[in-house]
Amino acid sequence: MSTAKKGMSIERKSNLTGWLFVSLAVIMIFVFYFYPMFQALLLSFKSGTGMNLQFTGIDNYKRLFSDITFITALKNTFIYLIIQVPIMIILALFISVLLNNSQLKLKGFFRTAIFLPAVTSLVAYSVIFKYLFATDGLVNKLLMNIHLIQTPIAWITDPFWAKVTIIIAITWRWTGYNMIFYLSSLQNIDNSIYEAARIDGASATRQFFGITIPLLKPIILFTSITSTIGTLQLFDEVVNITKGGPGNSTLSISQYIYNLSFKYSSDFGYAATVSYSIVVIIIILAFLQFKLAGDDK
Amino acid sequence: MKKFLTVLLASFMLLTACSNNTNTANEGGGNTAAPEAGKKQEITVWAWDKVFNIGAMERAKTVYAEKNADLTVNLVENAQADIIQKLNAGLNSGTTKSLPNIVLIEDYRAQSFLQAYPDAFFALDEYINASDFADYKVGPTSYDGKQYGVPFDSGVAGLYVRTDYLQEAGYSVDDLQDITWDQYIEIAKAIKEKTGKDMLTQDPNDLGLIRMMIQSAGSWYLKEDGTTPNLADNAALADALETYKRLMDAGVVKVVSDWSQFVGAFNSGEVASVPTGNWITASIKAEAEQSGKWAIVPFPTLPNTPSSVHASNLGGSSWYVLNVDGKEAAGEFLKETFGSNADFYQTLVTDIGAIGTLKAAASGEAYSAADEFFGGQKTISDFAAWTEQIPNVNYGMHTYAIEDILVVEVQNYMNGTDLQTVLSNAQTQAETQIR
Repeated sequence: MSTAKKGMSIERKSNLTGWLFVSLAVIMIFVFYFYPMFQALLLSFKSGTGMNLQFTGIDNYKRLFSDITFITALKNTFIYLIIQVPIMIILALFISVLLNNSQLKLKGFFRTAIFLPAVTSLVAYSVIFKYLFATDGLVNKLLMNIHLIQTPIAWITDPFWAKVTIIIAITWRWTGYNMIFYLSSLQNIDNSIYEAARIDGASATRQFFGITIPLLKPIILFTSITSTIGTLQLFDEVVNITKGGPGNSTLSISQYIYNLSFKYSSDFGYAATVSYSIVVIIIILAFLQFKLAGDDK
Repeated sequence: MKKFLTVLLASFMLLTACSNNTNTANEGGGNTAAPEAGKKQEITVWAWDKVFNIGAMERAKTVYAEKNADLTVNLVENAQADIIQKLNAGLNSGTTKSLPNIVLIEDYRAQSFLQAYPDAFFALDEYINASDFADYKVGPTSYDGKQYGVPFDSGVAGLYVRTDYLQEAGYSVDDLQDITWDQYIEIAKAIKEKTGKDMLTQDPNDLGLIRMMIQSAGSWYLKEDGTTPNLADNAALADALETYKRLMDAGVVKVVSDWSQFVGAFNSGEVASVPTGNWITASIKAEAEQSGKWAIVPFPTLPNTPSSVHASNLGGSSWYVLNVDGKEAAGEFLKETFGSNADFYQTLVTDIGAIGTLKAAASGEAYSAADEFFGGQKTISDFAAWTEQIPNVNYGMHTYAIEDILVVEVQNYMNGTDLQTVLSNAQTQAETQIR
């Protein structure tokens, strides 16, 4: 009996040790993560400039729906989301399958080359893109020299093309990053599965859709959720390439939050409200993606 | 994801700070005695632009060192956007430890700081006399009857023109003196026809030109109270936008999207004129080959607004003292330099081309110097004379918020929407935005 008692106490002891180990992290998360989140939630019910904040109830949330700038920012962000994320995911998938080919020479070189954009600084690459896509920039010169276009495209000053430029930029920056996830999980797929499929006479396309895609599903889900979140928080590229222009046509929600806090007379209350709207949108989108992917487990 | 975390953490830290509204800025408020002689003191100054603003401060430091060697002045260069962020974050957090003693704030933004953070700034009425400065500078730098800022550089606007292009098109500089924008457009068309050059550059995202136009008529985006949007029934703004559309439709404008393209366009001789603030002089002169080919004429007036004068302003900033320890020393320092010292302003003009707004400085020697780059024109004394005519407007708290709304609506107007619709849309949005 006494041994059993002792055993329990050891268990409790080791539990306590375990909790002590995690407690530091837990406390830090509470102090620096959950507490500020809660404060921000409170803040989102206040409004006013600078220090003159006043409790205004749900006024801020009502204001969201009549705020044309916010709605424009939301629309822009969703356009980026709907167009850019699928393009990037498919491209990353495609490239990773190519790179996974065992007969490919210089694999390391290609892998590094494609991943390299992901380690460049967001600001640095944005500035370079801005100059590449300027009206008299390299891209226009190139396109004109190969006679694809007659007059330069206003990549940055036209509302439509400005969005295209932003999409090209973020695709360039993040495709390699997502590719690495696919590549690593592709290497975990047992080669014998493909072998068996080949023996059964499955074509490469069939193998891709029948084996690769289903086995990569969890990773595809993961990358599409992180990419969705990333796109909703898009900031650096827009600020540096187009400054949200021309006329708010590339403005992202994050940039609007920044403008509300720092560019205009700072209204941190309303800025917090807009931030919380992103939280809500991310939760809804993540939920949808889980549902669509059918991963209820 | 990592970026997300960092941004989230940073912003939440900042947001939490806002809820603790304990204002420590007032601590030490009882101590108003002048700094005792022989006591070592240190103050910190934040400003942007190494050559211009920091350069001016460095010279102020030298001048003041002769009077009071006990004061150490630390100059910290920050980008303007960073200063705004740090000030907002610092003032909201209630801790003034990380803040400087003196900070440079753009006039367009000054009111948003003075009103959003009452008690955070130190009134300078005991140190400087507001009437010593150009009238138009007093509005933005004072609040609630008190003078908070020491007015610094004049953003007085002029029309920089290429005399050689004018000649080619059959005009002389005299034809451009005191013109209206309509006359300007006619000349622009002639120049385009004869030389193939555009008249000016314009960034559709930057309505500086509109701001200059309406200020020349003594009007602004906001009513005189500085908080009510004044867009829908603003005759000067309507006139400015109509003029702007005529200008854009005339096919004489080179569209740019940022500062470097703007500078590049006149440095490479692609445009025949630059209507902007006098601070552009240094950039114009950067292209030494164009020496003698430029002249500066008074800013054009709005064609259908009788109150419009040949003087306006773009940008410009002033020095503010924060209500923290060392404020008296900082006030004293500004009083002896930017606040009253006309000789010091001569140094600023000669060394860095900074035109101040101290009225007494205009009679100084350096102000009447002729500039060979501008064909021997006495540019500084011209600018100083125009500075005195700039209409005083209240920039209020929301210049940039309204401009962002207006940029979108102006684009709609350019694409054919009716002007009155555009302006009343902008008015409605501004009213929602501003509370």
